[in-house]
Amino acid sequence: MSLLEIKDLHAGFEGTDIVKGVSLTVNAGEVHAIMGPNGSGKSTLAKVLAGHPSYVVSKGSITYNGNDLLEMDAEERALAGVFLGFQYPVEIPGVNNAEFLRMAYNAKLVKQGEEEVDPLDFDGILDEKMKLVGMDRKYKDRFLNEGFSGGEKKKNEILQMAVLGPKLSVLDETDSGLDIDALKVVAQGVNKLNNKDNALILITHYQRLLNYIEPDFVHVFSGGTIIKSGGKELAHELEAQGYDWVTAPAK
Amino acid sequence: MSESAVKKTESPETAVLALHEKFLGGDQAKASLRPVNQAGIERFELLKFPHKKHEMYTFVNTHQLAGTAFELAADSPVDTAWVQSKIYPACKNSVLVFVNGAFQENLSDLSGLGDSFKIRCLAEAVAEDEIKQTLLDSLEDENDVFAAINSAFVHHGVWIDIPAKATFGSPLQLLYVSTGSASAPVTSHPRLIMRLGEMAELKMIVAYAGTRENYFINAVNDFIVKDGAGVTFTQVQKDDAESWHCSKTRVQLHRDARFFGRNASSGNRLTRHHYEVRLKEDGAELHLSGASVLVNQEQVHNFIRIHHEAPHCSSNQLFKNVINDKGRSSFDGTVIVDKGAQLTNSDQLINNLMLSDEAHADNKPNLMIFADDVKCTHGTTVGQIDEDQLFYLKTRGLSQELAKSLLTTSFVDSLIQTIPFPDVVADLDEILLKKLEAKHA
Ligand SMILES: Nc1ncnc2c1ncn2[C@@H]1O[C@H](COP(=O)(O)OP(=O)(O)OP(=O)(O)O)[C@@H](O)[C@H]1O
Ligand SMILES: [Mg+2]
Repeated sequence: MSLLEIKDLHAGFEGTDIVKGVSLTVNAGEVHAIMGPNGSGKSTLAKVLAGHPSYVVSKGSITYNGNDLLEMDAEERALAGVFLGFQYPVEIPGVNNAEFLRMAYNAKLVKQGEEEVDPLDFDGILDEKMKLVGMDRKYKDRFLNEGFSGGEKKKNEILQMAVLGPKLSVLDETDSGLDIDALKVVAQGVNKLNNKDNALILITHYQRLLNYIEPDFVHVFSGGTIIKSGGKELAHELEAQGYDWVTAPAK
Repeated sequence: MSESAVKKTESPETAVLALHEKFLGGDQAKASLRPVNQAGIERFELLKFPHKKHEMYTFVNTHQLAGTAFELAADSPVDTAWVQSKIYPACKNSVLVFVNGAFQENLSDLSGLGDSFKIRCLAEAVAEDEIKQTLLDSLEDENDVFAAINSAFVHHGVWIDIPAKATFGSPLQLLYVSTGSASAPVTSHPRLIMRLGEMAELKMIVAYAGTRENYFINAVNDFIVKDGAGVTFTQVQKDDAESWHCSKTRVQLHRDARFFGRNASSGNRLTRHHYEVRLKEDGAELHLSGASVLVNQEQVHNFIRIHHEAPHCSSNQLFKNVINDKGRSSFDGTVIVDKGAQLTNSDQLINNLMLSDEAHADNKPNLMIFADDVKCTHGTTVGQIDEDQLFYLKTRGLSQELAKSLLTTSFVDSLIQTIPFPDVVADLDEILLKKLEAKHA
């Protein structure tokens, strides 16, 4: 059984589909890259996967781990192991970063029928995860994403991923905002989290990230759907020639 | 409150005049303060209780408050342990306790403040012409009727004079305890006048608490802050839910003087904070902020007038309210920048988080600018919980309820956390945030 199976998905806002007929199968252990021009609907797809209530699914299905994902709300999906690394993580002033991470961690433990961890024990867990993504400890006591630079926000997303240990991670443009050194550290962290039981969908504009996290499949996304799929060599072609050579025939 | 407490036959003003006569004839009034009491009641007669369209009370209905026939709160014993529990640990050797407005020497402790801290009864201090004149002058153009009533009945006030260059190791706490009443509603009129000499620094926390319901605390605070001096004035208002609270804070800032005023209100029948600040000389700096969490029919109102009278001064205001049920809040703030006050920096920001359809918030930030080279901004937001923030938290596995309560809590907490006293932050987390949790549970 596949971990994720999207079939002919149409979704968007009331009356307007942004995602138009996406089909995609992701198995455990795989890394998929989705590349495509601005405004093509990549983030919309990601948010539909995570269960954003503003989007309407007009057609198609998503099966996750054998269950109907569209029947689950955002929190249930998260607890079932779906993770979205946001393209634009929101700032939440007043919410302490470390405390928030502990709440999320505990929500998962409770779901698994385990005891919650106290702040002291969690501190140790967090230290280790912060090291993994190369994040300074001072970000523990900051308000969630408030005043973080673009790169710091992205690191914080990966930190959350590391803390939660999801089965299916969708990382939406996690590379933008990171300088090359930070990108290497983050990519190394993501690679350490990868194993045969989980899967990764990387949404990106640039092939740069794919030098550090090697995809098994590359999909070209345009006009709300996947117009071409291939191996990692497709990313190099896209980088060298731009999207026009693949998008043009589709028009 | 019982209907019998409201004497329908009299006008509210007549009831106050009658109470005033009784007060002057009784043993609470101090002879030395009689000129102030007299000037206060005359001012009251002139101003009268606000009618509906009164420009100072556009958003605040004081009808019920004015129509309540109060007795003056008498001296009343309080449980020492209860009082102790209201004293912040950091202030245990720097606390002044007042019960129904009267200073309690035996419950207070000033040992941590040293010799430079001087406090006197207003009744005694008023013998000095300067102090008497300060009090009378403040009445000349008093435009707030409740502040005039305070002067009409003042008998317990204190005068604190901080000498030049004085600084203190611990913050000063003023604890105002109201004992309320089992029968007729009672009122007290605390008065504080504080002068900070040049370069003096004082951090103070003013906490208000009630041992029971049915009271009206009507406080007036005056600050004269001399060159280079700085004050933080944090009002923690945790009065009984069945009480009324008015406070007027008047501040004069001289050259390079700083004033940090904060209020946090736990909500009651009616709370109104009135700030009147004059930045009189170059380089003065003002910060005002307030936070409240309102449920049921609770009300908190802030009325602010800031006068920029000199160049190179700055003022900023940040107010946040979380309003549930039929709670109400208002913000009516005007910054007046005089002709000569070039290079003024000023901003006002009011954020309200509305948790119910019946919650109500009025906001009127206002600028009156007569200088041409200034930087002034103002803004207001009134909104529900942000859907994207809620979604973000839920994608991390937090339940709808937990995510909502976290967002509501954080909305006020982002302001509370900036208070530089850990004891106060913990206390407010306890009162304000618990209130939200209770509502969400
Ligand atoms: N509220 C809305 N109603 C209708 N269309 C919207 C709304 N919000 C966004 N869109 C449109 O949906 C389209 C897809 O946006 P989306 O963010 O999914 O693209 P993307 O591929 O992630 O782009 P980028 O590469 O810039 O991140 C855009 O054309 C955008 O204008
Ligand atoms: Mg996008």
